[in-house]
Amino acid sequence: MPPAIPPAERLLNLVIALVNTPGRMTKEQVRTSVAGYGDARSDEAFERMFERDKDTLRELGIPVLTVTHAGHGDDIGYRIDTATWSLPPIELTAAELGVLALAAQVWQDQSLRADSTRALTKLRAVGTAPEAHDLVAGLAPRVRAGGDAFAPLVDAVQNRQAVRFTYHAATTGEVRERRVEPWKLLARRGGWVLLARDRDRGASRSFRLSRIRGTVRPVGSPGGFEPPTAQELADASRAWVGDGPERTALLAVTPQRAGALRARATPVPSDVALPPGADVVLRGRDLVAVPYRLHWELAEELVGYGDAVVVLDPPQVRDAVVRMLRVAATLDRLPRVTGERAFARPAEAGPDVEEARGA
Amino acid sequence: MPERASDRLVRMLGMIAYLERHEDVPVDQVAAQFGVTPEQVMADVDTLWVTGTPGYLPDDLIDFDASSYEQGVVRLTEGRGVTRPLRLGPREGVALLAALRSLTALRPALDAERAAALDSVLAKVQAATGDAAAGVPVDVELQVGAVPAVAAAIGAALTGRRRLRLRYVDASDVLTERDVDPVRLVSQDEHSYLLAWSLAADAERKFRVDRIVEATVLDAPADEHPLADDADVFQPDASGELVTVRLAGRARWVAESVPVERTRELADGMFEVDLRVVQPAWLRHLLVQVADEVIDVRPPHVAQDTAGAARAALEAYGPLLGTTTGEA
Repeated sequence: MPPAIPPAERLLNLVIALVNTPGRMTKEQVRTSVAGYGDARSDEAFERMFERDKDTLRELGIPVLTVTHAGHGDDIGYRIDTATWSLPPIELTAAELGVLALAAQVWQDQSLRADSTRALTKLRAVGTAPEAHDLVAGLAPRVRAGGDAFAPLVDAVQNRQAVRFTYHAATTGEVRERRVEPWKLLARRGGWVLLARDRDRGASRSFRLSRIRGTVRPVGSPGGFEPPTAQELADASRAWVGDGPERTALLAVTPQRAGALRARATPVPSDVALPPGADVVLRGRDLVAVPYRLHWELAEELVGYGDAVVVLDPPQVRDAVVRMLRVAATLDRLPRVTGERAFARPAEAGPDVEEARGA
Repeated sequence: MPERASDRLVRMLGMIAYLERHEDVPVDQVAAQFGVTPEQVMADVDTLWVTGTPGYLPDDLIDFDASSYEQGVVRLTEGRGVTRPLRLGPREGVALLAALRSLTALRPALDAERAAALDSVLAKVQAATGDAAAGVPVDVELQVGAVPAVAAAIGAALTGRRRLRLRYVDASDVLTERDVDPVRLVSQDEHSYLLAWSLAADAERKFRVDRIVEATVLDAPADEHPLADDADVFQPDASGELVTVRLAGRARWVAESVPVERTRELADGMFEVDLRVVQPAWLRHLLVQVADEVIDVRPPHVAQDTAGAARAALEAYGPLLGTTTGEA
């Protein structure tokens, strides 16, 4: 018996055969003529092998077309569409390949890393010289893995296919199945988030991937929902990415403290309007202006400084800080009874925080 | 782990496309181009040489110039119709493009040449992915958070292998100055830090870049230092005080984003985390953020300390809040 043909060689033979076939090849022709498929020991083994290989090629971007004969619906053949095979005509420099190699290291998620590494391999073919490593020396960008739910959700977003999954809502502790139309996956502040339209609620929702339990399953067929409008997507992502231009917060800072905040401070506008009482707070404190994007994000940072930093403006940040401090001031009365909240959050007090942390 | 067949297939197709464009390339150079060993290139060439169209007679096969190959030079003479560079698959385009876009957050740390390369390659990959580029389903933002001048100094020191002088504010809000040999800038979706060798401590240290107030590139070259492979992974510090926090399920993110020593699941979605605390200020900050979800803290002095700090801070807000101070 001749040595078995390795899978990569079999796949390459299949590619070359389907590129060069004058019309198309039927499965049977593949089995009898393409090197590697004669190894299959049974009809069933061949079917499995061929179907898997066909899927593999398509995943790699190789355009495998199914060709049926007019009038003979069950007579199926295959060929590779050479018209859509190629990359557009581009060339990459050594420096550009160096940046791409760095980009390919970003993902800690295995499936994304495999995808970006293969993309890099393809683009190396149009590189004029090997990549320049020294250009990106010492940089280590990293994005954490999204877990098992990640890959099926990427596919579902791309295919516009609804999905269902079991979700553990942190807000209520409730565990139940959700049916959603997945819009986008975001990596923000240490976690992956799915933006989607919840079909049962008829509204957009954010879901932390770390709270998805079990398998993500497709519902219906690809192209099964309308993509969100730009406005819908912007609304859904607001709590995560901030909206509009940078804002400025005015802070009263104890001398010699909060050096990290001072380092990114901007000049205080001359026409600044301060809230009543600010003059008292500013006695013995410096007025510092700090740019930021999300109220809750800045508030969560500022509470770390205790009484060394007092928020004067805007009220949204100040209220969020005060709210956290009031709850924290009760921490010497522990333990709490399960489910008891020390301080009910007012409804108007920052959907930002609720949505962003909870979902 | 053995290489996946699909990865090898893509490389072999890439090699054909590359060799179609470049005549007479030494094996070593092909290896460098594709980031593999020369032995792997030769194994790939051997495989390519026996693949082709059904029939597999000499004229059906991919072919190389045999006499060049004996000299260690690869010259493709027959590519059997697969010589054009293969387009990106849908997932591949998304993965690479989203990663490239995330790198734009590093721009302040890049010099002009590197920034230009990032811009141009981003434009080219966007063109290469076509329609897919419009609605990339994955959106990542790396949080560098450094003052532009600090990012630029770190980038320059890393590229030029030079020593850095840092003015750094630690978690307790104490400003110190120290000289370090920078090793890498680790940028993540949560925050970024500089892994560096601290000369004073004679040990590796991690510096949150958003707390580096000032960074100066020194004339002295940076030395090489032996670093453990996992040097840039945050580990709980065994010397710290053991603190156990019991939390309601809503605060799940704590277990997910803080280096906890142990997590225990409890009834009703509650859970407990064991933390090693070196800097009390760090724990205070964490407890204030999750205060609403805290069920219990052991030892109790930790929670009392946090409550006291919160009351002091509220007092500072007094003049702004009028009569509502101290409510709840």
